[in-house]
Amino acid sequence: MLREEELKTFVDGTTRYFEVAAQQPASIGSPYMLEGEPAMHDYTGMINVSGKREGVVYFTAPRAMLTVLLMKMQESDFSHESMRDLVGEVANTISGNARRDFGHDFVISVPSVFSGEKPQVSQPAGARAFVIPIHWRSHSAKLVVSLT
Amino acid sequence: MLLSGADRNRRLLTAAAGIVLAAVMGLVLIAGFRLATQIRANVATLQQASELEAYPSAISEQLTALRQRLDTLEYTGHVHGELDSSVRGFNRDFSALERQKGLDPAAMHAATALWTNYTPVLAKVLSYHGEPYSDTATNSSLSRSGRVFYAHVRRAELFAQANAAALHRELAVVSGSLQARTAAAASRLRWLLSGGVLAVLLLGLAAAYLQVARGRGERAARDAQDQTRDILATVREGFFLLDADYRIGAVWSQALTNMFGRSTFAGLTFEELLRDKVPPETLNTAMKFIKLLWGERAHENLMKSINPLGQLEVNMDNGRGGKETRYLQFDFHRVMGPKGVKHVLCAVGDITSSVLLARELHEAQENAHSQLDMMVGMLHSDPLQLGSFLDSASAGLKHINAILKEPARTHAEFSKKLAGLSRELHTMKGEAAALNLMSIAQRVHHLEDMLAELKARNELTGNDFLPLVLKLDELLAHLRGVREMTLKLSSLREQPSAADGTLNTPAPRLPTAGPDELASTLQSLAHRLAQDHGKDFKLALNGLAQCPPAYLGTLKDCLIQMLRNAAVHGIEADEVRRAGAKSGGGQVRVDFRRVESGFELTFEDDGAGLSPETLKEAAVRKKLLSEEQAAQLDNRAALALIFKPGFSTRNEISMDAGRGAGMDVVAKAVYSLGGRIGVSTNPGRYTRFKIALPALGETAVA
Repeated sequence: MLREEELKTFVDGTTRYFEVAAQQPASIGSPYMLEGEPAMHDYTGMINVSGKREGVVYFTAPRAMLTVLLMKMQESDFSHESMRDLVGEVANTISGNARRDFGHDFVISVPSVFSGEKPQVSQPAGARAFVIPIHWRSHSAKLVVSLT
Repeated sequence: MLLSGADRNRRLLTAAAGIVLAAVMGLVLIAGFRLATQIRANVATLQQASELEAYPSAISEQLTALRQRLDTLEYTGHVHGELDSSVRGFNRDFSALERQKGLDPAAMHAATALWTNYTPVLAKVLSYHGEPYSDTATNSSLSRSGRVFYAHVRRAELFAQANAAALHRELAVVSGSLQARTAAAASRLRWLLSGGVLAVLLLGLAAAYLQVARGRGERAARDAQDQTRDILATVREGFFLLDADYRIGAVWSQALTNMFGRSTFAGLTFEELLRDKVPPETLNTAMKFIKLLWGERAHENLMKSINPLGQLEVNMDNGRGGKETRYLQFDFHRVMGPKGVKHVLCAVGDITSSVLLARELHEAQENAHSQLDMMVGMLHSDPLQLGSFLDSASAGLKHINAILKEPARTHAEFSKKLAGLSRELHTMKGEAAALNLMSIAQRVHHLEDMLAELKARNELTGNDFLPLVLKLDELLAHLRGVREMTLKLSSLREQPSAADGTLNTPAPRLPTAGPDELASTLQSLAHRLAQDHGKDFKLALNGLAQCPPAYLGTLKDCLIQMLRNAAVHGIEADEVRRAGAKSGGGQVRVDFRRVESGFELTFEDDGAGLSPETLKEAAVRKKLLSEEQAAQLDNRAALALIFKPGFSTRNEISMDAGRGAGMDVVAKAVYSLGGRIGVSTNPGRYTRFKIALPALGETAVA
């Protein structure tokens, strides 16, 4: 079973990215259990976890949110590639936070990025997926944690 | 550096030998100096005595020469002068000799006596200053004074002939004794010097031996130190000594470095060691305990039993910029000295893996017990009731997830979620308890505790819901397990079954319970409540068979809540009932009947009834109303308080009452069917609820 501190590590990794990159902290909504197919926004950054826990963690955000985020970061390139890079960076920060807190217990993959195409979510059998809404300014994204 | 007792003794011996050596050398030098001084003085005296020995014969010869010159009438002046010089010389040297100590007393006495007799004789010779001769034209002869002088000389000569040898002998005796003394002193000096040299040699040998022994001791001490260092570097436990100021000593084991993530410990206080790693109140308790260890009367075994640091949870840097929780075990042993407690030896062990293993074992045991309890509960339950409960629990959890899923950013929005979650969970707990599925009821109860804690917060965020959603997941997993077991039991009873039961896929439906099963559930619940709360009452159920299946679920939820309320708040304890002149056991009656407008449920207990004043006080205590607002309520409005969310007259929370969610749930369920609920009471006599439900296909305004 996923532990609270583990879930917190992934959440903190996400909100920390907004705080550092855009100098505006993100807040989270009430988490819930995912029912059915995972809900994806326009861009998704995903990491696969193995070792002590198995599963996936991904951050999925709408284009509008990422555009405003890039603007706050003083970027002028709002291309498709920039959006992909951005969700990749968020996934990377989540991964770094997890490495810091869990060390070698968790083997974390290089982030993979999806946009438009349906991501291949290899959710392990018997693992519950938790959805944590990420609110930043007027936008909302989702962090999904599905680990055994 | 560590010194053994043998090393200390060796050092003391070396120091003592050095001191003795210095003292002996000092004594030898002083005694030698004194002897040398004495010998030098003796030699000078001996020289004087030797010179004195020559005077008696010289004086005697000079007297003879003086007499012969007087016989031949020769000039006597220069002989007289020589005699005078000799006598003066003898007097001077003899007086000097007399002042010397330690001379042969008999010889000195004899010599002094002789010289004393000799002196006046000589004095008459020496005192003559006249002209000894008188000259005529033809010859010369002794003058008158010359003849007297001649007689004195002759007498002195005779005295000298008689005594000079004796005087010489006595003086020779004095010289001889002096010489013997000097020789003895010289001999003593030789012995002294030989003894001194021997003592120096012996002491030198002793010092050399001690030095060698010391070197050997130091090598042994160095070896011991190396071994101690190796032990301290290898041992897995952290060891250090605390002094009376609770400071760590200069020696500690290397394991501490990994345990506390620092490289130096010497001089660090125990408080500084644990600060930032444990909560302040834990640190405070730990310091109080450490202080107790220094008490002379503290019993070590007793202290061990109250050691608050037997399993200390500490938060450490994990070396990657994050924190990790570790468990340390501190053990204390007092090191006693002659004046009481000298040090406290602390042994620290990292027991993280064993604590986690024990926890896992405990959880596994709990799970096994819980599974067993569940199994027993299920075997005693009707499969139809169980299926009905699992269906409604699944639906409840779906509803809970839907509540969580609703967007929320503000405290008010989060707070609203809590109210909805409370209602769902309370209903689920009531049903689980009614079926005696205590492992489920306890899990839900724990979730309710978490909700109560969140409700008390002034500011809520999504972060506060993280532990809640994980606990819900646990509950869901548990329910899944129960469902699987139920299906297995069903299959054993040759009933159709299916697998799975997650939130994502529809659960396989088990047959729904009917009125008979509801009656059985309620009787079973009444029996458990009576036992748990020490109450004696009977439940009478009438007309449940008339309840249409569409209302059966709601009816069950309502009756479960009201029955729990009646058992906890309504029916009094036996002694109270006897004091109130009531018949032995209590009575709870449930009547369900068809009426013109639809259906009517009456629920009545002959317990304590409701006191409007008590209800108002409870509402003020729970901060649902201000005192002014409470004072303005009439009795009817006061009774209506029991339907308010969060209202309860109990201060303590138990499995069956105290959360204030019971009648709120009942009212909400009744309103959701378009029904109405009312309450009437006679304090001390009864409480009666009437629920009106519309005929099916109709709705009524609540």
